[in-house]
Amino acid sequence: MSRRPNRSRSPAYVVLPFLVAVSSGFCVEGPGTAAPAKPDSTEASYRGPACIAQSDYFSDEVWTKVAAQACLKCHKTGGDAEDTKLVLEDPTREKTPGEALRNNRQAFERVAKLWEKDESRLLLKAAGGLDHEGKAVLKADSTGYRILAQWVHLVNAPAGEKLAMKAASAKDAHAFFDGIIMLDNRKLLRRATLSLAGRLPSEQELAAVEKDGLKAMRPILDSLMKEDAFYERLGEGFNDILLTRGYDGVPETALSYDSFEKTRGWTQRYDVSAAGDEAAQRKARYKLTDDYREAMLREPTELVKYIVRNDRPFTEIVTADYIMVSPYTARGYGVFEELRDKFHDPENPFEYVPVRLTALKFRNGKVQESPTGFYPHAGLLTTFQYLRRYPTTETNRNRLRARMYYQHFLGIDVLELAPRVSDAAAITAKFKVPTMEASECVICHKTVDPVAGLFQDYYQLPDALYGPRKEGWFKDMFSPGFEGDDLPSQDRWRALQWLGEKTAKDPRFATTMVGHVYDVLTGRKVLGPPASIDDPLYDAKRRAYQAQRSEIERIAAIFVKGGFNLKDAFKEWVASPFYRVEGRKPAAGAPANPERQAELADLGLARLLSPEQLERKIAAVFGKPWGRLKEQQIGLLYGGIDSKEVTERAADPSGAMGALQRIMSNEVACENVAADFALPPDQRRLFPQIELDVMPGASAEGDQCIRAAIVHLHQLVLGQYDATEKDPEVERTFRLFAGILEDAHARKGLEPTEKYDCRVPGEPRSADPNYTLRAWRGVVTYLLRQESFLYE
Amino acid sequence: MNNKSRRDFLQLCGLAGLGVAAPVWFPSLSRAESEGLSPYDGPFYVVFNASGGWDTTYLMDPKGTSEINRLYKDGDILTHGNHKFAPTTGKFQAGMSNEDFYTEFGSELLILNGLDYSVNNHSPGQRYMATGKLDSMAYPTFAALVAACKGPACPLAFLTFGNYSNTGNLVAMSRINFLPALNKVANADSIDGSLKRPYQDDFVVDRIQRALKEQLDTRVSDTLLPRVERAQSMLYAAQINSQSLQRITPYIPSTIPKERMSQQAEIALAAFKAGVCVSANLSIGQFDSHANNDVDQMRLIPELLAGIAYFIRRAEELKLRDKLVIVVQSEMGRTPNYNKGNGKDHWSIGSAIVMGQGIRGNRVVGATDEKQFAVPVVPTTLACDKDSGIRMRPEHIHNELRVLAGIADHPMSKKFPLGVAEKDRLKTLWA
Repeated sequence: MSRRPNRSRSPAYVVLPFLVAVSSGFCVEGPGTAAPAKPDSTEASYRGPACIAQSDYFSDEVWTKVAAQACLKCHKTGGDAEDTKLVLEDPTREKTPGEALRNNRQAFERVAKLWEKDESRLLLKAAGGLDHEGKAVLKADSTGYRILAQWVHLVNAPAGEKLAMKAASAKDAHAFFDGIIMLDNRKLLRRATLSLAGRLPSEQELAAVEKDGLKAMRPILDSLMKEDAFYERLGEGFNDILLTRGYDGVPETALSYDSFEKTRGWTQRYDVSAAGDEAAQRKARYKLTDDYREAMLREPTELVKYIVRNDRPFTEIVTADYIMVSPYTARGYGVFEELRDKFHDPENPFEYVPVRLTALKFRNGKVQESPTGFYPHAGLLTTFQYLRRYPTTETNRNRLRARMYYQHFLGIDVLELAPRVSDAAAITAKFKVPTMEASECVICHKTVDPVAGLFQDYYQLPDALYGPRKEGWFKDMFSPGFEGDDLPSQDRWRALQWLGEKTAKDPRFATTMVGHVYDVLTGRKVLGPPASIDDPLYDAKRRAYQAQRSEIERIAAIFVKGGFNLKDAFKEWVASPFYRVEGRKPAAGAPANPERQAELADLGLARLLSPEQLERKIAAVFGKPWGRLKEQQIGLLYGGIDSKEVTERAADPSGAMGALQRIMSNEVACENVAADFALPPDQRRLFPQIELDVMPGASAEGDQCIRAAIVHLHQLVLGQYDATEKDPEVERTFRLFAGILEDAHARKGLEPTEKYDCRVPGEPRSADPNYTLRAWRGVVTYLLRQESFLYE
Repeated sequence: MNNKSRRDFLQLCGLAGLGVAAPVWFPSLSRAESEGLSPYDGPFYVVFNASGGWDTTYLMDPKGTSEINRLYKDGDILTHGNHKFAPTTGKFQAGMSNEDFYTEFGSELLILNGLDYSVNNHSPGQRYMATGKLDSMAYPTFAALVAACKGPACPLAFLTFGNYSNTGNLVAMSRINFLPALNKVANADSIDGSLKRPYQDDFVVDRIQRALKEQLDTRVSDTLLPRVERAQSMLYAAQINSQSLQRITPYIPSTIPKERMSQQAEIALAAFKAGVCVSANLSIGQFDSHANNDVDQMRLIPELLAGIAYFIRRAEELKLRDKLVIVVQSEMGRTPNYNKGNGKDHWSIGSAIVMGQGIRGNRVVGATDEKQFAVPVVPTTLACDKDSGIRMRPEHIHNELRVLAGIADHPMSKKFPLGVAEKDRLKTLWA
């Protein structure tokens, strides 16, 4: 290992593969894979002009590629290495932008100046030397090690010496959205209204955005976010994230037997005699039970909806001192009579009001510890459904709950990249309590286990609802707390409230919620940082991540400033280029540039509609849903979820889904085309300006009329508001229509009527002597199979 | 975009490491056109997952000592050819005993013992075992990868019934959880699936198809974002490939078996037989026996074995058995001791079973010692040697599975390298 770089060699060379020389005439050597030598103070000499700012190298290379990935986990307050000389700050938790990075750079400068004889202590530690408790986090021949070696070299370089290197990311820095085309405002409006309210934009709304552009979107969205349909979508979207509908057992078992034994089964005793005879009563009781169970499943997302609908701070999803109950679920809790007057309709199973439960009482007469006399609600964290959805066992010890807490509320998947250890089994066997003693385990458990301990009062196994562990909480776990803060003893009875308060103040909460809104709008999670620094496209992927991350942080700042009003996040995302992007300019496409391709890989909505969304879209366009996708099995086949076994929606269509799309397009066209033509023109949705006797090629006027009808269909079905009669896509549809008729007229023996199954309901088969009815049906079928319809 | 520019585009996608499914869908289009959606004829790849972490000492890696197991002693351990296995006859209620399983299939089984999962958490363990890569969320499972490489025109190329099923954006994942669903989608252009009652006349269907194809060809251009281009092509492929689903109807059994694994088997086999599927990921859960290990494992292992046997026997009836490659796996093992609740916790050492086309059976590779620690394996000889061997890990198995499937050099495989050094390859694993 060379310890002292030979600075007399020339010309300069650069060994880091992902660093490029900016100015070939001024580069000096880097240390390569060798560790840098302790500087010789007598060897100061000018080596060339400054080509790189030390801080850039730190942020682009040292921090991004090494420290954030390899050091931060332990070297932070609350981490396993919090008592060392290197204590870092997590930029995702900083209050002042840039502060954490500045402090971290200073910390890294300090440790880069520490030497063990002639060797850098920082590098020795990173390679596992000097009894580094985190063992070897970087191999000596790794890219990360070379970056760190370069940093040590740079920090200790004699005054005046600067390295003529810069990160590739700085070299070709450019505006991320250069050459990207944004969506027409009318299409954007349609995208938003369909996505958030399951409806088409009104004529007034379209006119407003045409006149005032993006400025008009905000008031439209404000109005839209008062519609019930928005809240249906909001609940659906947050269930996709939280999956609270997916707990085991019948829904009312979210209410523990120990506390709700006499009330949770109220539907079995409810008087249904007014329904009629025995069969009618049985049917009425089934419906009562079904509605009760559905109401119970909805409670957690009703909390989300209530907070947003009433412009309450969204932090209440972890701090609310109430839950949402309906007349039906209130009966399950045994609080219906005291709430009866609060409901507009006490018989509506799905009208929800907030309520604060009193401390739980148990069958043995004991009452839950609570100085206030109330159940210590902490938003979703203490809802019985959330606790049931993420249960625990005597071995798991609430760690699943801690993991889900981090994922749902702070945007961290603690198991995403579990560190590989040389022999996990040997470690397990070597230590009595590996999770507290083995550094490989401590890395995660020091963070996870304290949070797990905060759930300790929800340990009445097997359902793991309220009830402390009989033997007391585990001693062989890190004590309850949150990232370095121990749970104060006086808050022990309200531990999850304490956690909720901490969470609400954590900067990661805001960015995570903004990410959830992005998920609702796009159907996918926000980007994570690229994992492998050896990936040749690392820098491009990093740019994509950083561009999106900057937008998330911008929106999060507005979200926080607005009092955590989630509607702000929706409005900002809809107006964001990340949501509005449509395509790229041909000249800027640069298809031969893999780096640009990698940058753009996640850009663009291109979201396959879920079964629920597709049904809503069909209803919006045709006036009624298809209906088949609402069947659970068909919905699952079309990529839906059951929140339990199937928890991720299909992003790409399988062949089975392709078949369902064909069935849907056939059936929807079949149900609607003849029925539409049967209406007076001014009542038609699909064909208000054409009749069945207009044939292509018969006259210029007739062809124009057909083209106008096609333009209308393209606008209505596909949202192509900019379509004109000269549009190539309109021309293609025209050719399809004309071609079908040409084939039909060449074919002998075709029936002069529409198919029986596609007739107007209750009417005889529609006459179709020219085949135009069936040709138009073919056109609608064709449109329904397109990406513009099936994707968002 | 002409064929050349498509190829150029695909190469770029590959170079860019993008999640673009182009290599899947473009060949599918050309194949669909040139080969009339010809059926895929094998090999068929099946992965059985014992989800939750199985106790290998109750199956292929018996111990019988030091309280590692309570249901048998060292002297009770049975053999079949080169195999050693735990006795289970009389220790369970329903399913198949180890004795019967080894009697019927032992000569075909390759057992991999002492497999080092490296972690003992479910999620990373599942990901690692399914993909061969621990530290990436992007890698496809082997089943998805082989489906993408071998069956791009198959409408149900990759079937999954659970467990980790990431596709790496290479192929669409198909979930079909109940048999009647196959009937519902088999004849999509006919009213109620009846071929005698088409929605449209044939020439209308043909015109629509051509218009969609023409539209796709026109739209694939430099102005589209990668995601959008990919979506359009995936959609087109899904719809056009779905036409071949009509081949599946003759193979859908009239009765539905009641066992959960048998139901999955029937769906997968019908899809295989119809030539519309390349790989299937079958799964049963609840192996996570932290409490009452023996009760749970003796309920689930016999169920798993019965499911595998059912699958193979039905494959025999359908004349598919010789075309199968079967992997049986779990994401972790169980500790060599019981906890206070008579359960066993997570253990990072375990086993896998492999059998089928190209795999020589009646063999055991790797081992655990008397304390259930992994014994390293010498890559060249596959002999156990704690001094000169390497720890056998999922990437070693996956690397050879790719070789076995003939996809190791496929561009899509290369996009997801496993990082196994040549000297560490288990080249004779299947021989």
